[in-house]
Amino acid sequence: MARPSRSLPTLRQLLAGVHMRLILFTVALATASLLLSGMMVIRNYAARNLQLTAHTVAYTVEPALVFGDRAAMLEGIVSVAGVGGVDRVELREPGGAVLAAWEHPHGDLHSPFEDFANGLLWPRPARHVVQRGDRVLGEVRVYGNSEGVLRYVLSGAIIALSCLGLTVIATRILARRLQHDVIEPLDHVAAIAHAVRSDRAFEKRVPASGIAEIDQFGQDFNALLAELQGWHAGLTSENAELARRATHDGLTGLGNRVLFEQVLGEAIGASVRSDVAFAVLYLDIDDFKSINDRHGHAAGDAALIAVAERLRSSIRHVDSAFRLGGDEFAVVLAPFHNRAHVDGVVARIHLAMERSFRLPSGLFARSTVSVGVAVYPDDGVSPVDLLRRADAAMYQMKRHARCEGETGHGADA
Amino acid sequence: MALHGFLILAAALAADTSGPAGAVELVSAAGEGAGAAPRGESLAPETARIVGGIIEYTRWPAPGTPLTLCVAGNAAQAGRLDAIRLADGRAVQRRQVAPLPLAIVGCQVLYIGTVDPATTRQLVGAVRGKGVLTIAEADPACRSQAMFCMNYEPRAVSFRMNIDAIARSGLRVDPRVLRLAEGGF
Repeated sequence: MARPSRSLPTLRQLLAGVHMRLILFTVALATASLLLSGMMVIRNYAARNLQLTAHTVAYTVEPALVFGDRAAMLEGIVSVAGVGGVDRVELREPGGAVLAAWEHPHGDLHSPFEDFANGLLWPRPARHVVQRGDRVLGEVRVYGNSEGVLRYVLSGAIIALSCLGLTVIATRILARRLQHDVIEPLDHVAAIAHAVRSDRAFEKRVPASGIAEIDQFGQDFNALLAELQGWHAGLTSENAELARRATHDGLTGLGNRVLFEQVLGEAIGASVRSDVAFAVLYLDIDDFKSINDRHGHAAGDAALIAVAERLRSSIRHVDSAFRLGGDEFAVVLAPFHNRAHVDGVVARIHLAMERSFRLPSGLFARSTVSVGVAVYPDDGVSPVDLLRRADAAMYQMKRHARCEGETGHGADA
Repeated sequence: MALHGFLILAAALAADTSGPAGAVELVSAAGEGAGAAPRGESLAPETARIVGGIIEYTRWPAPGTPLTLCVAGNAAQAGRLDAIRLADGRAVQRRQVAPLPLAIVGCQVLYIGTVDPATTRQLVGAVRGKGVLTIAEADPACRSQAMFCMNYEPRAVSFRMNIDAIARSGLRVDPRVLRLAEGGF
């Protein structure tokens, strides 16, 4: 599982980018549509205003045309056209000659751009024919002024810009909240996944989230974690069982030779450091071969199990007993300061062996064991030496017991 | 010119204080006949145009077809009056009448030429309220109670009007014409 490389964008950056593009698009769209529709509406009204102005000028100057009074014509035009939105008014004869004309006094806003906008907005003047009955007296032409529309566009653009600023700020706040709501739970999941991977922390769980999808994701993740935890626990216990089998004797449950050598090594190490003596006992069952021969292997197994059980009950929990193979057993006694303690343990073992045990055939039997002792560091400093000395001591004791003679051992009916 | 303006102003003030109640006197105090003598025939087309315009914007209670225009007395600028054509197609029929109240029965427009002031007042008084449009040619000060008075100046021909006379005439004159009158609104 590779970590995300630095060139990849984070979710936060992705969200911010999407939000910004969305805002810009929305505001641009709203501004453009509002400005356009507003311009259309204003232009429509202005067009009607121009038409109305032309109509009113025509009505006003009609008598002046009838009377042929030019001063009155101009007066009539000025009285109507001064209201605004009008750039130029012309009164023409039916022949086309200009009788009277009026032009809007240009203010500060006047520029070539305004002339251009005038031409763009009002390519043709509003016309109205002055008529008296059937007689055509003249024609009024009214040229529009773009000042109002320009002012609207300018103020609209300013308002749109300030709206854009406000919206960007507001959406940034909202986006941050959204990012917080979305990213924090995902960060939880990522942190837990990392903890599981690096620390095997299978017991961790993703907390519930306020967002349905992320909550579902968290629950699934938790279920997956629970499954992983189960598998991990199963594997661990299986491994432990396998490890136990590798170091323990299947019949008696005692440690085997492998474990014995390991424990002995450790005991030597500990004794070197603490400078306190410890002992190794070496045991075997007297006449074990004859038990097997006379009563069968099942009886031999029962004898082994009984000896192991008695051995285990005779030692302290700091000591450890092992079956080295066949009818050979060993005990590593924890460090002691007094040699009498070792003799006490040996006496307790002999005493425990006095109790009879039940054979598979239903008969009861007793077994005795021979015990040899080797003390570290008096009898040797290496495991091999210690074991050899203990073994020799045991055989010496066994020979001694044979010479003693006639005490009954083996199985009694 | 400045002296003339001053005189008009003085007359307006005088009318405010001593004029007939409810009537607006838009007449000049310039001496009767002073500088108002009609000149040669050359002004007949302008006169016809102004008279035609006034008729054009006047509404009679019962319009007649054709319109009868009576010329009373010796009118110097009335030579082209029968050439007037109205926008709605009505023709104008000119009739020369004697300056007597009895002679002007049936006229819709009374154009008064050079007649002495007493007779003018008599004629105007006879048609007051009877729906007759009165135009005086030789009364630039418009003191004869005629509704409209021609005003011949050296460089232009214009007209004055008497709002009081118009109000009492029984005719409706388009208010847009008022703007065109000399000293009008």
